[in-house]
Amino acid sequence: MLHEADPAEAIEQLYAQGVTDGLPVVPPTRARVRVFVEASGRPADELIARLPPNFGRATIEKIAINAVLAGCRPEYMPVVIAGVEAICEEAFDLHGVAATTHFASPLAIINGPIRKELEINSGANVFGQGWRANATIGRALRLIMVNLGGARPGVISMSTLGHPGRYTYCIGENEEESPWEPLHVERGFAPGESTIAVFAGEAPHGVYDHRSRGAPQILASIAGSLAVISNYRSTGWGDTLIVLSPEHARTIAGDGWDKPRIRQWLWERLQKPVRELVPDAECGEGLPEKVLARYADPAREETLIPKFRAPENLIVVVAGGTAGRFSAVIPGWTFPGGSQLVIRKIQR
Amino acid sequence: MVVEYLDPTDAVIVTRTMAVRPASLEGKVVALLDISKPQGNHFLDRVEELLRERARPKAILRRTKPTFAKPAPEDLRAELLAEADLVIEALAD
Repeated sequence: MLHEADPAEAIEQLYAQGVTDGLPVVPPTRARVRVFVEASGRPADELIARLPPNFGRATIEKIAINAVLAGCRPEYMPVVIAGVEAICEEAFDLHGVAATTHFASPLAIINGPIRKELEINSGANVFGQGWRANATIGRALRLIMVNLGGARPGVISMSTLGHPGRYTYCIGENEEESPWEPLHVERGFAPGESTIAVFAGEAPHGVYDHRSRGAPQILASIAGSLAVISNYRSTGWGDTLIVLSPEHARTIAGDGWDKPRIRQWLWERLQKPVRELVPDAECGEGLPEKVLARYADPAREETLIPKFRAPENLIVVVAGGTAGRFSAVIPGWTFPGGSQLVIRKIQR
Repeated sequence: MVVEYLDPTDAVIVTRTMAVRPASLEGKVVALLDISKPQGNHFLDRVEELLRERARPKAILRRTKPTFAKPAPEDLRAELLAEADLVIEALAD
């Protein structure tokens, strides 16, 4: 690809070629790409994955080109490579996530010492702007989905509304402020290892609770927000993220609650009787016909149906600033057989 | 002055050709593939009704994907390829 040497003109040309996300990109000169490939410590032609739905080849060099475009620093390469491996695992179902009419976009959650080394933000404004690593690692993954996976918006990626996290969506877990084991340790990695987890998420939905002073009170507030995700009558939901702020986490842990107890309590509370889940004139959503057919009189049936398939689907991480009693819930793309959170070690 | 930038896409072009379209559905085996979205069966019921009314297919097969969230599994694709002359896939909600 030949371009004008003037960077402003190059940005225009790259935009016109449809290889950007609409924001200006860093032109991927051969020299810049070479530095990124070298930083990965791996051969340029090593194939990491073929990206659904178009199965473009994500070689180290192609990943590097997209990381340059995104504005990454060379030392972010191992994180981006592990992110590509993670979104290409079958359990993540990239084919569906990339093409769906749903909102979802991969949220990268980084754990371990690499957060400090690369200055990946896990504190104040964790979902917001201002940190180069968060801004560009998430952006690189999206550009790779578009340029190698073929997920062009309105062409293959048919999301009806999308969400702003489709530009970038990358956080660190605030392990230092968490009273519990971080996500990667829960999933079997050593605390000293660094990992990237990918979760096909909608935008964060804020839960505001400044006045509760006990674990069940705060969790009841969070349950109230979880109860309405996707549709207030939807059930059988899978992986869903609960991002607890350090203040909320401290109050909950102060009452002696751990993550398994939080999950179990929320799961049990988030159940509704069949009679509240019958599609009717007020709302056409609810239990599918084949489920309703199991009951003689669904309109009076008291059997409880859980909002989430299992307590383990409620994934808890701690992130955000130390001041503020705000948490967030993030619905996933989790139809039965749909996307699950996938976590990979970052190889260095 | 121009400089060289590397291509962020996988530019290898895979050529794909469309299957030959049959001139008529008469005597053909038609598979109706439900992708498992709600109401897809209603839509395909009507398509089947119209096919029986207006065309004279040899047979109509009804098949269902396990989930709309993923591509059809390999064995289902192989089965469709072996048994049907053409496939009509229904997306509904």
